[in-house]
Order: sequence, then C-alpha cells, then structure tokens
Amino acid sequence: MKVNKQIFMSNRIITYTESIREATDQIMSEDKDVVVMGLEVSYKNGADGTTAGLKEKYKDRIIETPQSENAVTGMAVGAALTGMRPIVHHGRVEFAMFAADQIFTQASKWNYMFGGGHPVPIVFRINIGRGWGQGPQHSQSFYSLFGSTTGIKVVIPSTPLMAKGLLMSAIDDDSPVVILEPKWLFSLKQNVPTEPYKVELDKAVVNKEGSEVTIVAYGDGLIAAHESLKLIGNSVNVELIDLVSINPIDYKTVIKSVEKTGRIITVDTTNGAFSVGSDIIANIAKTESINLKEKPVLLSCPNTPVPTSTALTENYYPTKVDIANATLSLMGKQNIKDELTFEDLNMPPNLTL
Amino acid sequence: MLIDAYKKMFLIRTTEEQIASFYLKNNIESLVHLCIGQEAVAVGICDSLQKNDRVIGNHRSHGHYLAKGGDLKKMICELLGKEYGSSHGNGGSMHLIDSSVNFIGSTPILSSAVPIACGSAFEQKYHNKDSLTVVFLGDGAFEEGGVFESLNLASLFKLPILFVLENNLRSINTRLWERRSSDHDTQKIVNGFGVKYIKADGNDYEDVLLKVKEIITDIREGVPALIECVTYRHMAHSGPFFEEETREEDVLESRKEKDSLLKMRREILSSGFSEKSISDMEEDLIKNVNESILFAQNSPFPNNEGKQTNIHV
Repeated sequence: MKVNKQIFMSNRIITYTESIREATDQIMSEDKDVVVMGLEVSYKNGADGTTAGLKEKYKDRIIETPQSENAVTGMAVGAALTGMRPIVHHGRVEFAMFAADQIFTQASKWNYMFGGGHPVPIVFRINIGRGWGQGPQHSQSFYSLFGSTTGIKVVIPSTPLMAKGLLMSAIDDDSPVVILEPKWLFSLKQNVPTEPYKVELDKAVVNKEGSEVTIVAYGDGLIAAHESLKLIGNSVNVELIDLVSINPIDYKTVIKSVEKTGRIITVDTTNGAFSVGSDIIANIAKTESINLKEKPVLLSCPNTPVPTSTALTENYYPTKVDIANATLSLMGKQNIKDELTFEDLNMPPNLTL
Repeated sequence: MLIDAYKKMFLIRTTEEQIASFYLKNNIESLVHLCIGQEAVAVGICDSLQKNDRVIGNHRSHGHYLAKGGDLKKMICELLGKEYGSSHGNGGSMHLIDSSVNFIGSTPILSSAVPIACGSAFEQKYHNKDSLTVVFLGDGAFEEGGVFESLNLASLFKLPILFVLENNLRSINTRLWERRSSDHDTQKIVNGFGVKYIKADGNDYEDVLLKVKEIITDIREGVPALIECVTYRHMAHSGPFFEEETREEDVLESRKEKDSLLKMRREILSSGFSEKSISDMEEDLIKNVNESILFAQNSPFPNNEGKQTNIHV
C-alpha cells in the first residue's frame, strides 16, 4: 500500500511517538511472531512512550531485557533467522554501537553469506540525533555508518505519518531494517490514519514540487527545511525532497528533480564528513544528464563532537534561516535577517504538520 | 556403536587432511581453519542430539557441520567457491550451513554466534518446541563480553541451549596463561550466571557423550548448560599447516598419546574388529572424500554476470 490521498484525509492528530506505538500495537495484533525487545519497553513511559501500555496487552511479547545490547540484539537476530519477527529498541544510537557486530556484520550479511534463502526479518528501532543537553555521547548521528553498510535497509521517518507507515513496512520486510528515529521530532503532531497503512521503504518523497532549487533533507533536517519554506515564501520556487531512506538512496527521485532545477542543497544535521549530503552531491556531479546551474550546497554541522551547552549548539545545527538563505543565495536573492528565538534554536519543534 | 562414531570422526579428519593436501598442492590460499584433533567434541556432542535440535558454529566448523550430518559434497564445493556449495560460493569455509539437518549456520567473528544461538533457543521456547540449540565456541571466544551477556540471557529466560566451550588451549597462537590471570575460574563464572557447568575430556568421545547425556534432558526443559571440552588443535590456527612451535602441554607426544581417533581405533581393535575391516572402512571414506574433491573441482563457479545477489531478501 502506498501513501495516497486517502491517508492524508484522516482527521485525528497524534504525536510521532504515539504514531510508533499505534503501529506496533497494530502489527502485534496481526502477527504473533512479532515481539519487542529492549530496555524498559514494558514500563509505562518506556522507549519514550512508543511501547506504552503494550505490556498489559501482549505480556510475554514485550520483553524487558538486561543492559546487554550486544547479546540482546544477537538474540533477536537469532530469533529472526529461525522464524520470528522481532523489533529491537535502542534508546540511544551510542548504546546500539555495543551491538554493532550483530547489526553490521551478522544480521546484514546473513542472507548474502549463505547464498540467499536465509532471511533475517528484524527491525532495529534506534533513537538518534540532537536533544537539549545531550552532548557528545548522547546525540551523535552515525548516519554514514548505517548508510554505507551493505545488507541493511535504513529509513528515517521525518513525520508522525511516516513513522507509522515505515514501521509497518519494516516489520513486513524480510531483510533487516534499521529505523533511525530522531528524538528531536518526538513531539511533532500530525493527522495520522487510525487504520494500518504502509509507506515504501526505499522511495524518497517529494514533499513540495518546485522548479528552481532542489532541497534534499531527511529526519530533523527535513523539518528545518520545511520550516524554511515559510521564510522563503514566493521568492524561490523550491522542490523539497524527503529522502526517507539512506540505504539505499532513491537516486531516481533526486536526479529527476535536479535535472529540472539544476540547483541542489543538501541538509545533514550531523557533521559533514562522509555525510549523506556528500554522497548525494558526488552522485549528482557524475550524472551525465545533469547540468548544474550553480555549485551544489552542502549544509551540515561542523566536524566536531556535538557540544552540550545551548550557547554552543546554537551554532552547531543548520537552522531554517540557514536553509532559507542558502536557497535565496543560489537564486541571487537578498538574504533574510536571522531572527531566531531561543525556542527556535533549542527546543524540539512543537509543530502540527 | 563406537564404530559408527569412529566413522564420523575419521570422515572429519580425512576430509580435512585431504583438503589440506589439496590446498598445498594447488597453492590455494583461501582461509581454512582445521579442527584436526578436536573431532571427539563435534561427534560426541552431535551424537547426543535429535535431528530437530539446532547447531550453530564458528570459524572452525567443518567438524560441527559434518557431525550434524551436513552434506560433504556441498561443503567441499563451498570451500572451493563453487555454485553447488552450501552457500553457493558466497560464504566459504567460515560460513557453512545445511538447514536440512538443522546446522543453521556458522559465523566466524568470535562470540557472535553465541547470542544468535540464544535467539534460536528463544524461538524454540516461544513456540513450545521440544528441541534445543547447541553453539560451539572456543576458549578465545570465552573472553568476549557477548558470551557473558549470553550466559545471563540463557539463565534469565531459561533457554534450551547448550554452550559447548571447545578449549584447545590457544587463541590463534596465544596461550591461556597469556590471556587469563591464574585466578580465572571458568566454572565459577558460568555458575555465577546461574548456568550449569560440566567438564569433559575433549579428546575422548565417550566422555563427551556421557557428560552431555547427563544434562540434555534438563536443557530441553529450559535449564541451560555449558560443557567445557579440553582438547588439542593439531594444526595451525589458519591454513593447511601442521603446527609445532610454541606448544606447551599439547606437544606432539601427548597429542599422539591422547589423540581421540588413535585411542578409539585401539579400543575398536581390542573389541574384536580386524585391522583389515577397519582399514577397509577408512579406505572407503578416503575414497569418498577424494571423489567429492574431484566433484568440486569439476563443478562450475557461480556466475551472476558481475551482479551481486541476495544482499537483500
């Protein structure tokens, strides 16, 4: 099932985390081989509320685990390759790194190294990215690690609507799927249909069609880009692409857009070295059918660890003003003045999309 | 019957010996981790299992695969990178699988298979199956954190799992005393997690079999256990070479004296089998292996026209 008009006609507003919870509930009621494993997933506000109340409903299938990311993830991989469909939750991407072997070397290679026919249908839900006061070891992103590892599919839901649809697709997929969930987006609200639906894992979504500048973003960068459109107004006709998947990247959609606009801005909310933007710009540069009218723009964070103090993070992440001004500059238009409030810079977006 | 176990152990040994000599003759440098010397562990464990019990192995798993009943031709084809191989040439020696006999895979990153085996046992318990999962790990892997985490999981979730610790006294070349303090106590570690511990002579098929039989019924009921089998690895860590340097207690003399196959052969002889009947049987097995190697040599390589397949399902 694709995202279609009918889905957008829903009339019930829920948050990003409620959307994940609802998808999990609906999947579990459909398929008894789906289990959820993770720390505090059985607690009331466990996994940031994304599993709230599910323990009461599914008892033995919401599995509280020891603080052993490596073995717990491996156990889920083993259960997946013997016929179950586990969802593993990691509360911070840094903790998922304890399970790097199981994600990057075991689950991702199993089907390939045994010559096919040995699926590992597992979903890794990993909390990632920025958050006030989280600092160098609680808000890294590692997108490039996940993007460059063969054998896993990697998606980043940018909205509540995407969060539900992508999780429902992920659990139905026979390959290991990593869902990187930017915690910055957890309070976003949106109309989300009550019924189950799926969003394709490997397709970028054109959020807004345009003819002059292509902006490619994902996760919290997509929301910043979305907000920048209000600042740009009618000055530039922007095409905004939600990348959705960083493994693989849907180059067909990106290339089609840049063929039309001839201008590209990429937005990463992590450091620029080996970033998603670098990969996209490199591929655009070698595409015969594209003649860029302006040099590509890569917006990203500096190549430093993530700072903690708000005084430092204010200058770390690309803002909606940065994106707007990069867009205006590409078209030779006058930049707008930076009038961001403390809330704009430091608080997670409390938007209803 | 002892003679049946001897046949299995001899098959494993002769397969590896013929492979080693084939590699040397043909300058094949592809990785191969031989288990010559450790056959009693593989066969002793697998002989105590049901067909629906699962086994998962590591980098040194030719013996585990064959002992569980894995297809010989497919294994040799896999070693030579052929399409008919158990992983169609994508895996090689370190990634063996034969689902038809529930040898559910082998994976060479030390200790990686251990939590995966817990997952298999979790599935067996979740679906109320009467089967269990066996995972083979070496003394090197027993120094990886994932193993300790897995012991805790097995105990916490009451998993039907048997951890088989093949202690061949060396991790690559390093000796145990270089890697562990003199106070290290495997039994205390294992028991400390609430997992049963039992020790067997890994150079003695009957001892391994007997010890496993004592605990296997409990394991099926969800009482996980670890069996430590002390054994000798005759060959180099990797490659088709005989190894003698840096040996301590497992020197050539003690290996000959304690070698599980030689010992068992003596017992079979004294139980009434003639020298000729045993050597005829051995000749048949050698012939079978050499025919399989020839089959593999003449078998086609995988051809996917440069396209990588099976990256995703």
